[in-house]
Amino acid sequence: MDTLKVRDAKDVEEVVRAAIANEQPLEIVGHGSKRSIGHAMATNAVLDISALNAVTSYEPNELIITLQAGAPLEDVLSLIDAKTQQFAFEPMNTAPLLGTPAVGTIGGMIAAGLAGPRRIKVGGARDHLLGAHAVSGFGDSFKTGGKVVKNVTGYDLCKLLAGSWGTLSVMTEVTLKVMPKPEAERTLLLRGLDDAAANKAMTAALGSPFDVSAAAHLPKSAFRANTDGLGDIAGQGEALTVLRLEGITASARHRAGSLRELLAPFGTATLIEDAASSGLWTTIRDVLPFAAGGALGAWPVWRIVCPPASGAALGTQLARETGGDVIYDWGGGLIWAALPPKADAHAPAVRAGANAAGGHATLIRAGEDVRRAVDVFHPQAPGIAALSERVRASFDPKSILNRGRLIRGTAV
Amino acid sequence: MAIMMPASDQAVLARRAEIIAALRAIVPGEGVIDSAAEMRAYESDGLTAYRQPPMVVVLPDTTEQVSLVLKYCAAHGIKVVPRGSGTSLSGGALPLEDGVLLGLGKFKRIREIDFDNRVVVTEPGVTNLAISQAVAHAGFYYAPDPSSQIACSIGGNVAENSGGVHCLKYGMTTNNVLGCEIVLMSGEILRIGGKGCENSGYDLMGVITGSEGLLGVITEITVRILQKPETARALMVGFAEVEAAGECVARIIGAGIIPGGMEMMDKPAIHAAEAFVHAGYPLDVEALLIIELDGPKIEVDELITRVETIANGCGSTTCQISTSEAERNLFWAGRKAAFPAVGRISPDYLCMDGTIPRGALPKALARIRELGEKYQLGCANVFHAGDGNLHPLILYDANKPGEIERAEAFGADILRACVEFGGVLTGEHGVGIEKRDLMPDMFSEIDLNQQQRLKCAFDAQGLLNPGKVFPTLHRCAELGRMHVHAGKVAFPDIPRF
Repeated sequence: MDTLKVRDAKDVEEVVRAAIANEQPLEIVGHGSKRSIGHAMATNAVLDISALNAVTSYEPNELIITLQAGAPLEDVLSLIDAKTQQFAFEPMNTAPLLGTPAVGTIGGMIAAGLAGPRRIKVGGARDHLLGAHAVSGFGDSFKTGGKVVKNVTGYDLCKLLAGSWGTLSVMTEVTLKVMPKPEAERTLLLRGLDDAAANKAMTAALGSPFDVSAAAHLPKSAFRANTDGLGDIAGQGEALTVLRLEGITASARHRAGSLRELLAPFGTATLIEDAASSGLWTTIRDVLPFAAGGALGAWPVWRIVCPPASGAALGTQLARETGGDVIYDWGGGLIWAALPPKADAHAPAVRAGANAAGGHATLIRAGEDVRRAVDVFHPQAPGIAALSERVRASFDPKSILNRGRLIRGTAV
Repeated sequence: MAIMMPASDQAVLARRAEIIAALRAIVPGEGVIDSAAEMRAYESDGLTAYRQPPMVVVLPDTTEQVSLVLKYCAAHGIKVVPRGSGTSLSGGALPLEDGVLLGLGKFKRIREIDFDNRVVVTEPGVTNLAISQAVAHAGFYYAPDPSSQIACSIGGNVAENSGGVHCLKYGMTTNNVLGCEIVLMSGEILRIGGKGCENSGYDLMGVITGSEGLLGVITEITVRILQKPETARALMVGFAEVEAAGECVARIIGAGIIPGGMEMMDKPAIHAAEAFVHAGYPLDVEALLIIELDGPKIEVDELITRVETIANGCGSTTCQISTSEAERNLFWAGRKAAFPAVGRISPDYLCMDGTIPRGALPKALARIRELGEKYQLGCANVFHAGDGNLHPLILYDANKPGEIERAEAFGADILRACVEFGGVLTGEHGVGIEKRDLMPDMFSEIDLNQQQRLKCAFDAQGLLNPGKVFPTLHRCAELGRMHVHAGKVAFPDIPRF
């Protein structure tokens, strides 16, 4: 297979144009950290953007950074961390879960759009992508959005690029919002709640005026495989319900106190601070209990998004039906489910449950044979599927880019 | 009218009576308005310089009726202009002579309030403020707060991706909307998203938001609601120089503080506002900042002190801190009344809406001053300083020959300057017809073609709100044509490994 390592946007245009002329679909790759997500693609050439890795501009006072799409995520995070700034949506590091050496690029972060615990408060990758330059499947460079936070000029194509898994365009440069890192963080821990009670506690916390920035629940079973990153917090392996408060120190402390009182009916919450707290949230963000190197490393993993208050009912049901493990984030609105190996990865149960709850499920980790048998991304209602296909074709009519990745059976 | 709208379809106009009868069969009774006198209420939106009576007004009150109206219009090649409350400042709801004006004003029911999932499911004709009022008893509110919130509809907010004073901290409409029911021009009814944090597949909700009524007609919206901050306090800080005020804004953001709102007014705006509402604004300053901190009291009190220190370090000449709700509201009264206040000192004004990088503020204001001298027109500036969104108010007198043309040329030059300084044509009011012909100043033909291809995916006949946003209309078949670049039959000379 040809690998074409491009140096600039012009190269990308030329490669895409040649691919169009040859009717030769391309797989778009940065570091390849998320290549195992999605269906096998009908490609015999790889467009490698990892050399498009420059920081175009970083203006901390404008809360904006412009980067080439191949910039390594880890390097960029260090760069903005040095100015005590962050991507507020807490992009997930998929490496531990997928068992890849690479953490990935900025382009991959946007194209996958996998946001972490703070998603419930500040939005996802789509909410932080302000502008982009990209090469469409017409072989043309276009731009959308801008380099300012407030902009309604023209259609917001950034929203489509975020989470498009490289099927609409090859992003070459993106402008992202950065936000100040909070001065302090506090996390309240409640121990021993069952899923339903935990969901209620999280709902109460998120419906309070205490500005909770993350709410997650690790059932007891989540600890049987792996307690990486949890250290002493894991305790006796009881279920753990965790709620995060961030901001200036006095405020985080004050709100933690108020929230603790509010949650008294659920038990007496204990408190962890700063480094211990951030370690815990990294564990949750990256779903370390289901890490590829852990005891459940061979189990397929689903990522289910649903109305937050429905989380526990759905998660409990799935765990019971399949004998699997679940972890809840986003106050119950995100369920990570590691289910025992099966040829269909329990897809019928997962999809029926997600549909009934008004949610959707993505098979984030599974072997190639499973992904041949099961839809990785949630099947859509016919009208939405048809519109989505028209939208896709409006960017890439010949399906040159990542052909077949999103919809099973279209890699032809 | 300086803006050319698409040529009227004479064949459609010739069938007007037949079309009205067909629409009456779909929407009975008062839902179809065809008398010239009654249609006058719909001939303009918030951009009142432009007026055009529609062919007919239709006010459906069910999704099914919307679907049937659109299906009928699609089948007969009739243009449709959707309208909410008609408060658009960019002419987004300006009717077409040969078009149906589809008003969503009867969709004014809140369908569901779900506190556990922190969402409200509402019809599009409900006003922005009514959503907040419906959930206020439980301490919740809907965060985006455009200054027209008492009148503007949530459907219009989604169409325009409306902002407001607080969007620096809480985001625009797009960051607060989770799902919708939308009717395509074909009449097809689709449901997108729901009560979950994010949708599956392409983010259709994201691209529909801010699409200015060109992609579909929204008949239901799911928005997220937030708990009201415990308290809010404001500082009112005066500066002898605009540059110092700009520096103060940069340092506050640089210190990691994101205020709930951070507004700037220049001298003409301060004077106009003070004369109108007597808020106690200092009259001897060149720039006034109103900075609001919200959150728990302990946090607000500390941040007020930090901001005050920063302001002093930037050479502020006056600094008042609100000690009561009444005082905080008084600080805001002048800013919130800035537009009518300017209306008192000038017979007419044009409200512009560009965004620039915050750091470009001093040079943008200097350029506006130069342009004011060139065009011999006054200009008062109010500015969402925190996010770089500038609202110059150009003062003119429509009764003086040539002034409106000069005012529009002045405004266009300001927006071009915004683009030149690294910004954009519109921060929150939309392109509509007002900035349509400036789009090529910001986007290349390729950029605009890609946007119009997306339009084709939703509305292949181009019947929904044509003449808005895009200066040049292309047929979808033409846009979809693939130009194979000759001579490139093999991969070019690119490093391989």
